Amino acid sequence: MASVSRAEPRTVAEAAAALAEASREGRRVSIERAGGDVVLSTRGLDRVLEHEAGDLTATVEAGIRLSALSARLAAAGQMLALDPPGDPTIGACLAGDLSGPRRHRYGAPRDLVLGVTVVLADGTVASAGGKVVKNVAGYDLGKLFCGSQGRLGLIVRVSLRLHPRPAAERTLVVPVGSTEDAYRLAQLVHGSTLVPSAVDLLWRGAESRLALLLEGSERAVSAQVQAARALLGGEEAGAGVWDESRAWQERSRGRISFPPRGLVQTLGLYPEALARPLIGSAYVVEPAPDQVEAGARGLAERVRAAFDPQGTFV
Amino acid sequence: MSLSPELVRAFETALGTGSIIREPDELKTYECDGLTGYRVVPALVVLPRSTREVQAAVRLCHAHVLPFVARGAGTGLSGGAVPEAGGVVISLARMNRILEVDLESGRVTVEPGVTNLAVTQAVAPHGFYYAPDPSSQQVCTIGGNVAENSGGAHCLKHGFTVNHVTALEVVLPGGEIAYLGGKGLDPPGPDLLGVFIGSEGTLGIATRITLRILRKPETVRTLLAGFGSTSAAGAAVSGVIAAGILAGAMEIMDRLTLEAAEASVHAGYPAAGAILIVELDGNAVQVEDDMGRVEEICRSSGATEIRIAADDAERALFWKGRKAAFAAMGRVSHDYYVQDGVVPRTRLTEVLERIAALGREYGLRVGNVFHAGDGNLHPLVLYDRRNAGEPERAKELAEAILEICIDVGGSLTGEHGIGADKACRMPLMFSEADLETMQRLRRAFDPDGLCNPGKIFPTPRLCGEVPGPYRAHPLELAGLGERF
Repeated sequence: MASVSRAEPRTVAEAAAALAEASREGRRVSIERAGGDVVLSTRGLDRVLEHEAGDLTATVEAGIRLSALSARLAAAGQMLALDPPGDPTIGACLAGDLSGPRRHRYGAPRDLVLGVTVVLADGTVASAGGKVVKNVAGYDLGKLFCGSQGRLGLIVRVSLRLHPRPAAERTLVVPVGSTEDAYRLAQLVHGSTLVPSAVDLLWRGAESRLALLLEGSERAVSAQVQAARALLGGEEAGAGVWDESRAWQERSRGRISFPPRGLVQTLGLYPEALARPLIGSAYVVEPAPDQVEAGARGLAERVRAAFDPQGTFV
Repeated sequence: MSLSPELVRAFETALGTGSIIREPDELKTYECDGLTGYRVVPALVVLPRSTREVQAAVRLCHAHVLPFVARGAGTGLSGGAVPEAGGVVISLARMNRILEVDLESGRVTVEPGVTNLAVTQAVAPHGFYYAPDPSSQQVCTIGGNVAENSGGAHCLKHGFTVNHVTALEVVLPGGEIAYLGGKGLDPPGPDLLGVFIGSEGTLGIATRITLRILRKPETVRTLLAGFGSTSAAGAAVSGVIAAGILAGAMEIMDRLTLEAAEASVHAGYPAAGAILIVELDGNAVQVEDDMGRVEEICRSSGATEIRIAADDAERALFWKGRKAAFAAMGRVSHDYYVQDGVVPRTRLTEVLERIAALGREYGLRVGNVFHAGDGNLHPLVLYDRRNAGEPERAKELAEAILEICIDVGGSLTGEHGIGADKACRMPLMFSEADLETMQRLRRAFDPDGLCNPGKIFPTPRLCGEVPGPYRAHPLELAGLGERF
């Protein structure tokens, strides 16, 4: 049996050559994880290619880590509004559809990707989308690759929509005693004119908490904290609860999607969960059952067969 | 080209005689969409009332190798709903029910023929609204919005259709039904929902659509500022973005479009070289803080006059002229051609100067009205078809503007779509490998190529044998220019 080899391309051309060769030889490739005959790492593809502060956009190589990109953008008072746990690469954020608490306001990777360049298993290099914030030319393959788990192709370059860094942020934590209590509080937020950046439910039965992140100008945040307290009760807290939330998310092995109206029933199934109650997603301890409907699953398989007919990516 | 009587009978049996249009006079209604230069009379039009009937029609098309195109209100501006000769139009006009309003989840589920505005009207009494607001929102349908990934003036802050659809039931080109997404967000697997939206009706027909609705903001405030020139107004836009202010909308109209709009709807706009409309929404204190800074920025960018709408009536007046701008051009020109292109926001001033220079070169007037906040230009090329050669010159000028957009790293279209109109221009923005990769997706959905053929992708039949000039993709230029 052939031994596992590693590929660490430093350019898109090298990545394309490595994949074309693996395909030709019938070797299977896994990206940033074990499993393939070739284990491909994007750590050599970690440059910021362009940061156009005036456009609130950036184009980066897919191997750059969130922390490195954040540091670059912070210098211009900007941010990529993705805050998943750990310090994944941008490519991993897309392929794994990773997001964190700020998903509530700013969206998932699919909402922040403007364009991508990918390398298919046969070495084809293809771009879609663009680097401008508004664009409907051609199929938006950047979205297709979100959640693709590295099985459609290798993401090598990504153009992203950025946001200004808020001047101030404050956190409110409200104790939650039951599923009904959680639902009531979430609906109060939903029906209010509060504009929270994050609404996380740290669900653990009678000792649960709902955390709200409020961002904006000093004055606006302080007005919103006051309004939120009047509406929900609770106390202001440090940002530690968000670290806790992310840590919780990270150790969960399953993610489920539910209609926000079904919060009570959903929480009833789990003694513990990190839920985003108004998004309709929850991170749970055990791997979640496959929720994809048969028609969509069949379609996803056809798409995979079209992009990677030999099944090179595992 | 007409269908055999047996085939027509098969459609009648499946959908009922009252759901079939076959008379030549009536078929002509369906020969074009809002871009009337492209016209093809279909062989048959069907008007299904349910997903099952859409499925039956698609299955018949599939079995008899008939090309088909779905159609909403026909307001598209890129020829995306133009039928194929000998093909079938599947009109979703009769599927116009709002199926479910789930306020607690913030979701509304509709059939594709429901108009954009009807969604907001259904939830407004409860304090919610549907964010994407294309100018045609009173008549355009959600199904069409899904096909085109429609935007609108307010998508600057709140996003496009794709950011507001959580689930779709679709009839695939082979007649199967698939459910993409769900009421909750972030389902597992590749984002088929995201790539379907904006695919211009080439991947299937959406028959049931779940939308996300938003709570009406606490405050909305709208500012109107007059400037000596579009460049000065453009500088103010850059200033607002640089200050980290997330505006709900930022729109510019130049002198030409301003005068036409004023003559048409009497919005009371100041006489100026350009006007800028900035709308802020959200938390009242935040809006107040930001509005103060926007005012300051406008003043330091040379604003000659600043007004802030005192109430909803005045705010509506600010928008009235903007929304009427295209139609108003009929007052100052016999004909006009609306272009739709995108440039990086930082290049706005430079691009406007280049467009003005092109206008002088071609001897034609060009009006500019645009979504400045996101760099989406709508140059209006004015011409008179009674003057020999002018229509051709206008079309050439409009195409030259697109080349400028691509040259500075922008896009061929921000919201009108590629459709039939710009399919031959796709090689300006995408390489053969890019387009071939997109075609892989299309073949996965539609192996027989029957679902709205002749759109988005250049073909020798549409564009002649000579491929257009290739320019490096913006992502490629940003990288090291690698290309195979």
